[in-house]
Amino acid sequence: MTDASAGLTTSRPARLRRIAQPMRTDSGARPAWPAIAFLFVFFVLPVGALMLRSVTDPHWGLQNFSDLLATGTYARVLFNTFLVAATVTLVSLIIGYPLAWLIVMLPQRWQQLLLAILLMSMWTSLLARTYAWLVLLQRTGIINRGLMALGVIDQPLALVNNLTGVVIGMTYIMLPFVILPLRATLSSIDPSLMHAGAICGASSFRLFRSVLLPLSLPGIGAAGLMVFVMSLGYYITPALLGGTANMMLAELIAQTVQSFLNWGLGAAAALILLCATLVLYAVHMRYLDEDAR
Amino acid sequence: MGQNIKRLIGAAILAIGGAAMAHADDSFTFTSWGGTTQDAQKASWADKFEAETKIKVLQDGPTDYGKFKAMVDSGAVGWDVVDVEPDFAYQAAKMGLLEPLDFNVISKKDIDPRFVFDHGIGSFYFSFVLGYNPTAVGDQAPTTWADLFDTKKVPGKRTFYKWASPGVLEIALLADGVAPDKLYPLDLDRAFKKLDSIKKDILWWGTGAESQQQLASGEAPLGMFWNGRIYALQKDGAPVDALWDQNLATADFLVVPKGSKHKEAAMKFIALATGAQGQADLANATAYAPINLKSEPLLNKDLVPLLPSKHAETQITLDLNYWAEHRDEIGKRWYDWQAK
Repeated sequence: MTDASAGLTTSRPARLRRIAQPMRTDSGARPAWPAIAFLFVFFVLPVGALMLRSVTDPHWGLQNFSDLLATGTYARVLFNTFLVAATVTLVSLIIGYPLAWLIVMLPQRWQQLLLAILLMSMWTSLLARTYAWLVLLQRTGIINRGLMALGVIDQPLALVNNLTGVVIGMTYIMLPFVILPLRATLSSIDPSLMHAGAICGASSFRLFRSVLLPLSLPGIGAAGLMVFVMSLGYYITPALLGGTANMMLAELIAQTVQSFLNWGLGAAAALILLCATLVLYAVHMRYLDEDAR
Repeated sequence: MGQNIKRLIGAAILAIGGAAMAHADDSFTFTSWGGTTQDAQKASWADKFEAETKIKVLQDGPTDYGKFKAMVDSGAVGWDVVDVEPDFAYQAAKMGLLEPLDFNVISKKDIDPRFVFDHGIGSFYFSFVLGYNPTAVGDQAPTTWADLFDTKKVPGKRTFYKWASPGVLEIALLADGVAPDKLYPLDLDRAFKKLDSIKKDILWWGTGAESQQQLASGEAPLGMFWNGRIYALQKDGAPVDALWDQNLATADFLVVPKGSKHKEAAMKFIALATGAQGQADLANATAYAPINLKSEPLLNKDLVPLLPSKHAETQITLDLNYWAEHRDEIGKRWYDWQAK
């Protein structure tokens, strides 16, 4: 009797769970269908059609890919694209991490104020913000004039129309995408862990290295990946703040399509970028999975 | 119930479709570059055309050649009259992307013969001039294209048009001493060699607004500019000057994409736009020159000396047939060189 009742009490929730599980996933997936259908029709299909053109336009074959790789330009631009994206990601993380930590540490009211400033910058037109940097950074701009008036430099620094300009402008635009996810990660870390470490006599650097940094790694990974992938496809900011020697892939693709009317070649260039991004994403997912395990 | 709703939706779709069709019959789409130029085109041409014909002119922009070709290729042509750059007009005609113009509707009798061909007619004509900022160049004002390549005589950055298009290579060759009548076919090796000599001192402008920003701020104290942009800066009181010696003239063209669904209205519109009055109105608003030779008496008197047509003695007309033939080849080399 006791055995039977014990069997009943344990088996009932198990059975219920078994019944409940498919129901839950079913009802969970259903609201997502319109969104998935929307993405399929307005994103997957057009992108797929464009990618197809890389092997069909002007005729079947891989000629677009061999054209792309025939000159050094594409390889150079591709390398430059990854260089810029990696630099921007690194600088954004270095600046964004302490900022995110600061926001978490501040009292609620200040947190909200800082977040509001952060979000407000995202509402302003990208073009306007990029032009603003141009005005600040150029040889006759405020920064150079100020430094020269102070006697720090006697020749204007080349801050724009080169890699420096691109990295400054893009880092500024990417910062919210680092700070927001990092803030979420950092604020979910239990402060008592830090207290415990401090009580045990860890220096603040040791606390950061052994407690905070390892616990916030998933956030750093997610933020870094997002910024890196977004940076890969950037167009306006590098076009305005970079020189022609810092061309990024998005601009090359636009040029191929708009100037040479060569959709096939543009599609091939885009396909390579897409594949590179997907590979990175896959690597990241694998790494994150292992991290979770 | 379900049936009723379906019927209702069906009727609504038909009604919307019908409205769109009716709408389409008395409207067409004009596409240009946006900004002050398109505003002036709307005021000078579209508003008058609407008042005269009751056909509505929908504005779109900016012109995008990739989109242009995609529209024609797919047969879903949403543009009817498009303002394009000259080298594209000639190349597009060659590629079969354009409708031939109907010269029974459009009169080409008074049109400057340099700016009309089977598939396109000038929208306005302009010159590349050497523009400079007198306060930024100091007492060493440039006097020839050669000074643009002489960083010892006139120090500072110089700004050039960024895209592969008629102009920069011609300027490099003129600066290197090539006679204007010997420019074509372009000696590309020589032109790129000349450009190499100042490559690190070049800033590029991709849009007219960018060129104005660079010159007015003194970021680039000198460079090549569209004359209309210099005029607009002067009107705003910016300290800039233009050198007209060996100004390089070319025109934007109005074209009709192949497969346009409103060809008839498009031709009528082009007739108005290229008429003496339409061209004079646009010139008065922009300081680009009229391509209609009968427009001059209708121009503002104080504007006339500032128009490219008043600097015709030393003017050089860019060879668009040459460019149509070599646009792709030059473009590839151009962007390779730029990215190096």
